[in-house]
Amino acid sequence: MPAVMLAAMSVLLFAFAAMTLWWTMHAWRTPETLAATRFAAPDGTHDLTFSLLVPARHEEEVLEHTVARLMTATHTDLEILIIVGHDDPGTAAVAEKIAATDPARIRVITDTNVPKNKPKALNTALPHCRGAVVGVFDAEDQVHPDLLAHVDSAFRATGADVVQGGVQLINFHSSWFSLHNCLEYFFWFRSRLHLHARKGFIPLGGNTVFVRTEVLRAAGGWDGTCLAEDCDLGVRLSCVGAKVVVAYESAIVTKEETPDTLMSLLKQRTRWNQGFLQVLRKRDWKRLPTMRQRMLARYTLTGPFVQAFSAVAIPIGLYIGLVMDVPVNVALLTFTPVVPMIATLMFQIVGLRDFGQQYGLRIRALHYARLVLGAFPYALVLSLAAVRAVWREWTGKNNWELTKHVGAHLPQGGEPVLEGAAA
Amino acid sequence: MTTLAEPPAVEVPPEDRPPLRDRARRVAVLVTAPLRRWPSRDAVIVAALVAVVGCVYLPNIGGFPGASDDEGTYLAQAWAVREGLGLAHYTYWYDHPPVGWLQLAALAWLPAAVAPDALAVAAGRYAMVPVVAIILALTYVLTRRLGFARPTAAAALLLLGLSPLTVTLYRQLFLDTFAVAWLLAALVLALSPRKHLWHHVAAGAAAAVAVLSKETMLVAVPAVAVALWQGTLRGLRGYSLVGATAGLALVGVFFPLYALLKGELFPGPDHVSLIGAWQFQLQNRTGSGSVFEAGSSANKLVQSWLFYDWVLPVAGAIAVVAGLFVRRLRAPALAAVLLAVMVVRPGGYLPAMYVIGLLPFFAIATVGLVEIAARRLLAVDPLRHGRRYRASVALLVASTVAAVVLVVPVWTTGLGRAVTRADNSGYEATAVWLRAHAPVEPHARVVLDDVLWLDAVNAGFERERVIWFYKLDLDTAVTATLPRGWRSVDYVISSPAMRADPNILPNVAAVLTHSHVVVTFGTGDDRIEIRRVDQEAQ
Repeated sequence: MPAVMLAAMSVLLFAFAAMTLWWTMHAWRTPETLAATRFAAPDGTHDLTFSLLVPARHEEEVLEHTVARLMTATHTDLEILIIVGHDDPGTAAVAEKIAATDPARIRVITDTNVPKNKPKALNTALPHCRGAVVGVFDAEDQVHPDLLAHVDSAFRATGADVVQGGVQLINFHSSWFSLHNCLEYFFWFRSRLHLHARKGFIPLGGNTVFVRTEVLRAAGGWDGTCLAEDCDLGVRLSCVGAKVVVAYESAIVTKEETPDTLMSLLKQRTRWNQGFLQVLRKRDWKRLPTMRQRMLARYTLTGPFVQAFSAVAIPIGLYIGLVMDVPVNVALLTFTPVVPMIATLMFQIVGLRDFGQQYGLRIRALHYARLVLGAFPYALVLSLAAVRAVWREWTGKNNWELTKHVGAHLPQGGEPVLEGAAA
Repeated sequence: MTTLAEPPAVEVPPEDRPPLRDRARRVAVLVTAPLRRWPSRDAVIVAALVAVVGCVYLPNIGGFPGASDDEGTYLAQAWAVREGLGLAHYTYWYDHPPVGWLQLAALAWLPAAVAPDALAVAAGRYAMVPVVAIILALTYVLTRRLGFARPTAAAALLLLGLSPLTVTLYRQLFLDTFAVAWLLAALVLALSPRKHLWHHVAAGAAAAVAVLSKETMLVAVPAVAVALWQGTLRGLRGYSLVGATAGLALVGVFFPLYALLKGELFPGPDHVSLIGAWQFQLQNRTGSGSVFEAGSSANKLVQSWLFYDWVLPVAGAIAVVAGLFVRRLRAPALAAVLLAVMVVRPGGYLPAMYVIGLLPFFAIATVGLVEIAARRLLAVDPLRHGRRYRASVALLVASTVAAVVLVVPVWTTGLGRAVTRADNSGYEATAVWLRAHAPVEPHARVVLDDVLWLDAVNAGFERERVIWFYKLDLDTAVTATLPRGWRSVDYVISSPAMRADPNILPNVAAVLTHSHVVVTFGTGDDRIEIRRVDQEAQ
C-alpha cells in the first residue's frame, strides 16, 4: 500500500512538473509562437492618450530619475500622476518639485488612506486620469522612451483592452538568488505570460501594465484589500472577457532590480503567494467562461504551493526509492518527477545564455555554476515563502511587508531606500 | 477551406443554380473537407506501397529464413516479461538493454491471434509486421522531410521493402529492427516541419529508446544531432538541442538507474552487473576479424548479406559516403557511415543482424542521390540546348533500364526463395513432437536451443526443467538445480546451433555423447535429433 501511494504521488508530481515545464517553454515552442511574442513595430501614429500612474512611497532618491525618463518618451500625449502619501513629506516635496517643471503634464495626487498600500494609492488617482489608457509604473522603474509608442500601436493593431509590457530584473550578477530571480522573470515575461494571454486567463504584472481607462473604471479599479492587486485585476478583467495582449521586446522592457537580501526576497515572495491565495479565495475566477480557463486559473493560483510541495516531496520520494525496500519499478517511478526538474534546469542554462545575448550581458562560468548549484536552495526559499504565505493567511496577517530597493539596476547605483508599494 | 467552398462549376451559371442546392453543396463541402484532407495523399501512397511490400514480406514469413537462436532468446525473454518473471526467465545479466523485447512483449497478442499453433518463433515473427510497416512509412516520411519528391520517397520505400536482404532480416525477431524504427522516428521528429520544441525533445527521447532497444545504435546518435541542427532556426536552436539532449539523457538514464536500484550497476563478486556486462561486450567478445580478410567471420558475414542482395548494400554504401557531401542527405548518410564504421573496423565483434540498422539509410541515400543527379541533368533548357537535353534524357532512360536489368534477376531469385523455402520444417516437426510428448513426461528435464524453448514450455514441460543448452555450463544458478549434473537431464534436442561448438561446453558435450537418438527430423547438417540421455552411462 505505501508503495502504491508512493507511485501515485510520483506520477502526480511528474505530471505537475511536466505541465509547468510545457507552459514555461511556451514562447520557444515553434518559430511562430516566438514571433507572436514580439511587439509589432510602431506605425508612427500616436492616437491614444496615456495617464501614467507612479505610486511613490519613500522614494526620494529614484523618483526624479524615473519621472524624467518617462518624460523623454517619444510618445508625447501623456500625463504623469505621482501618488504620494500624506505622511511622506519627503517624497511629496520631491514630487512637487518635479511637477513644477511641467505642470500641464505632471500632477501630484495625495493619498490619505490608512493604512497605505499600492492598490489604494492607485485607486486614489484613478478618478483624476484624463487619458484614454492608464499605465502603471513603479518609482524605481527604468522605462524605455519608445515603450509608449509601441503600446499605442499594440492597442490599435490588436483592439486590446489591456497591454502588458515586459518587465525584466537585470542585476543577475548581484547574488546567487538574484540570478535565479532574474531568470524567473525572463521565463515569465518572455514566455509563460503569453500563454496565459492566449488562453484568456492572465495574472497581470504590477507595472508596465496598460488598461483602457473606461475598462478599468468599469471593473471598479484595483482591490485595495488584496496583496496581489495586479494578479487580481488580471483575473477580474479575464472574467469579463477583456482582451489582454502581452508584448515583449528585450530592447524596450522595463528594467527593475531584485530584492537585495534573501530575507526581502522571501518577504516579497510571501506577499505574492499570499496575494495569490487571496485571489483564489475571492473566487472571481469561478466566473471565467470556459472550463479550461477555470482549470488554468486554479492551476496557476495554486501553482506556488504545489511547487513548494514538490521541492520537498521529490527529494523525500527519491530517498525512499533509493534507501527503503520498495519494488524496483516503484523506485524507478519515484525518479520520474526528476526528469522534468532536470530538463527545466537544462532549459534554464540555455535561457541564461539567451538572456545574456538579448540584454548584451556577459554571462560567465560563475553564473552558470550559481544557476546549477543554486537551483535547489532557491526552490527551498520559494517553498519557505509558500509555507509562510499559508501561515500568514491562516493567522489573518495581511499587512504589506516592505521590499528594499538599492538601485542596482540603475547605471549610477543609489542609496538603499524603502518602498512600500513594491514591485 | 475557402478555395474548396468556391463555386466549382463553370458550366452552371450562378444565376441558374438553385440556392438550396448551392447551400447543400456548401454543406457537403464543409463536411467532406476534413475527410479529403485525411487520409492525405502521402498516407494513401504509403498504405499502398506497404501493401505491395506485404505481398512478398508476409507469405511464408515463418518458413524462411531459418529460425535463429537469437530470435528464440528474445521471444522467450518477452514471454518472461509478460509472465511477470522480470526481464528474463534466467538471471538478466545486462547483455542487451531490455526495451527491445519489452516492445516485443507488448506486441505478443498479435502472433497469438494470427498463428496460435505454429512454431513459437515462426508465429512470433508476425509481431514484426507492424514494426516493419512503421519502418517503411518512416523511411518515406524521412525522405519527404529531407526535401525529396514523392516519387523519390516512394522509391526509397520500395528499394528498402523489396530488397530480399530486408525481407530476410526484417522478418526475424531482432532487436535491431525495433532500434532502427526508433532511430528513423528520431530523425523524422528532428526534421519536423513545424520545428516544434517538443518534437525535438521527443526526437531525443526516441533516440534514447533506439539505444535502449539495441545498444549499437549509440554510434548513430550524432546523426540525430545533425538533423536537429538542420531542422532548427537560430534563436531557437539552443533550446531545441538542449531539449533533445534532455530527452535522450533523461530517458536513457533509466537503464543504469534500474541497475543501480537493483544493486547491479557496479561489478561485484556474487552478482551480475551492468558495467561488468559492458566490459564483457567490449573486451571479451571474440573479434570477427577484418571484413577485408577472406575467410574471417566478418568477411563471411558480409558475404552472406551480399548473397541475399548485393544491389542495396553496394549502391547504398557508395551513396552514403557521397551523401556526406550533400547537405540534405548528411543526417541519414552520417547515421549509416557511423554504423558502417563498426563493420569495417578491424578486430571488433560484428553481430549477424547488424546490417538491419543500415538498410533504410542505404535506400534513402541511394534514391536521394538519383533525384539530385536527375535534376542536375534535366536542368537544361530543352529549347536552347535541345541536344544536351535529349542526351540527358537518354542517359537517364538508359541507366534506369540498366538498373532494372541488374536488379530484377537478383531480386526475383531472392524474393522467390523468401516466399517458398521451408527452412524451419525440422523445428516445426520437433515442436509437434514436444506437444505430443509433454503429457507423457511433464517433469522431464529437456536441454535444447533457444528457438525451441518457448515451444517446450507451451507444450507443458515445467519451465524450470526446460534448459537453454549453454546455461548447462555457463549459469551457476542452473547447474545448482541439477543434483547429478548432466545425469539429471532426460532429453537433449540436438540442433545445428548446439552442435556448432561442442568442445567449449563440457556438460553439453557429455549429454550429446551419452545419449541415443529417439527420433530424427530432417537430414544432413540441418537435422534435429531428439535424444534420450543415458543417465547411468560411464
